[in-house]
Amino acid sequence: MEIIEEKQDMISIFKLNGRLDSNTSQGFEKKIFDAISVGSKNMIIDFNELDYISSAGLRVILKATKALNREEGKIMLCSMQDYVKEVFEIAGFDSFLPIVATMDDALKAF
Amino acid sequence: MPKKKYSFKLKSNLSELDKLCEQLEKFGQVLGLSKKCIFEINLALDELFTNIISYGFADDDEHVIEVTLTPQNETLCLCIEDDGVPFNPVAAKEPDLECTVEDCKIGGLGIHLIRNLMDEICYERCGDKNVLTLKKNISATEKG
Repeated sequence: MEIIEEKQDMISIFKLNGRLDSNTSQGFEKKIFDAISVGSKNMIIDFNELDYISSAGLRVILKATKALNREEGKIMLCSMQDYVKEVFEIAGFDSFLPIVATMDDALKAF
Repeated sequence: MPKKKYSFKLKSNLSELDKLCEQLEKFGQVLGLSKKCIFEINLALDELFTNIISYGFADDDEHVIEVTLTPQNETLCLCIEDDGVPFNPVAAKEPDLECTVEDCKIGGLGIHLIRNLMDEICYERCGDKNVLTLKKNISATEKG
């Protein structure tokens, strides 16, 4: 999986490309928590190029959300393919995670 | 639809998830399954495989996990076998999905996803093997 990290204003943007599973989730977790440790409080995860997610990927998103809540920060998820979004819905994560349709919608939330 | 069963072996390493994906895409194309259907089958087998690798083996030896896919008319039968410690994931407790973000626990989520994506799930201990059989109705999702 490829992860492109960008910064826009005070927001860390992570663009995921490929497959987020138990084999790739650790690398993603490290990137997110490295950003949090240097002071990132606002994050957008862009799912546009993500083809696949398993519960290992959900686990990282949940962990990051909890950490950002403690810092009084915020996380936004955007541009999910339908079947990736369905995994969040089945898991019940859509009830507490803000999932929006486009990157513009995500940026507007800050 | 070909009625032949299709089977492949994975080593006990998480990097084999890429092979699982390749094999399922190949099989799905031959059968004309939709992308969504291949995704769901991949997710169910990934969750089981990841569980086996994470908790299934008491030693550091290399083990073999065998996956068999059998089309039966409108149903696709998926079977995953390992020689790890006896473990019945079907008996796992359902997670609490009404929780807040702070209380939300990740345990049991994999099996919850499988229960939602598959139509049947059955565990058997056969000799020294765990045999997990999943069934998915593919009539509605075919050729999508």
